Amino acid sequence: MAKESTTIEVGEPSTVTKSTSHVVVDEKKKKGFVAATAGGGYKRGLAIFDFLLRLAAIVTTITASSVMYTAEETLPFFTQFLQFQAGYDDFATFQFFVIAIAMVASYLVLSLPFSIVTIIRPLAAAPRLILLISDTVVVTLATSAAAAAAAIVYLAHNGNPNTNWLPICQQFGDFCQAVSSAVVASSIAVVFFIILIVISAIALKKH
Amino acid sequence: MKSGQAEIVETSKAIQKSGLMSRRNAILEFILRIVAFFNTITSAILMATTNETLPFFAQFIRFHAEYSDLPALTFFVIANAVVSGYLILSLPLAFVHIVKSKTQNSRVLLIILDVAMLGLLTAGASSAAAIVYLAHKGNNNTNWFSICQQFNSFCERISGSLIGSFVAVFLLILLILLSAIALSRRH
Repeated sequence: MAKESTTIEVGEPSTVTKSTSHVVVDEKKKKGFVAATAGGGYKRGLAIFDFLLRLAAIVTTITASSVMYTAEETLPFFTQFLQFQAGYDDFATFQFFVIAIAMVASYLVLSLPFSIVTIIRPLAAAPRLILLISDTVVVTLATSAAAAAAAIVYLAHNGNPNTNWLPICQQFGDFCQAVSSAVVASSIAVVFFIILIVISAIALKKH
Repeated sequence: MKSGQAEIVETSKAIQKSGLMSRRNAILEFILRIVAFFNTITSAILMATTNETLPFFAQFIRFHAEYSDLPALTFFVIANAVVSGYLILSLPLAFVHIVKSKTQNSRVLLIILDVAMLGLLTAGASSAAAIVYLAHKGNNNTNWFSICQQFNSFCERISGSLIGSFVAVFLLILLILLSAIALSRRH
């Protein structure tokens, strides 16, 4: 009873190392778990922001596509040789614009489930990686359609004296305005896309 | 004890393998950057040196064509020049990724800049493509005549310089993909 301390002699040094390594492994697991839940907090916030941006981009792209599709104007006078009607299908670039932005809008709708998955499981890398890769491809398509349509709209507003291309906006005012606003809406959608890609890249970081 | 040692050997092998994969990844990125740089600089130079004067002249009509006559082509040259400058400046960073192992934050920065450059390059290339299409086909509804029928070599030059730019767009997409995969793989 006077003995207060007992010394335990361990005969095999290997078991001692095994137990200490186990302790180290457990602490590492604990640290990893804590870091994971801490990382999960801001990643979930980023995922929610991603989802909301996707919804905004869907609205923007559908607006752009439908405004361009319904842009039409017929001037009230007519002569025998000149055309006095303007619609989106008079320009091949605008046809490409309508189809491409419609494809971008349907991609965004299809990517909403992936975005919801990243909200539910903020630490999974696979859905985020898929979203980033497909977002990059689709942003190229959207930028291409927006830029080509912007080039034609610029030409319609200003014309080009060197090639004798006259600006048509002076005659077709309503058509020009509708087409310009469609181009602006699709450019806003492209900005949303770039923010989406940046969010996915930041959230992919592992600690 | 034996199972513990086997575990340690296995995890070290896995770490070695992933280290090799990420190094290969980084080397491939470096090479792709160099190729994309050559593509963009070639496109910019090809477009900027367009100059054609037709051998006859009349008092009122222009018979001279160069890239600065069309603002979309000027934007194309500027965009290609900016992107090729960025690619050259990002080569040291890509080289550091090959050598160093803890590169998370710089990879995120590189992805953000790559996406911005992708947007700029795509915008320049597709607006130039729209104008080149117009130059080839014209537009009957707006009385915009195709200029390619008169300026043949100018037209060929501007069409050819678009190719390098679109190839560079594709390479930039690949670069972003590689960076993203490397980001998601780190332990």
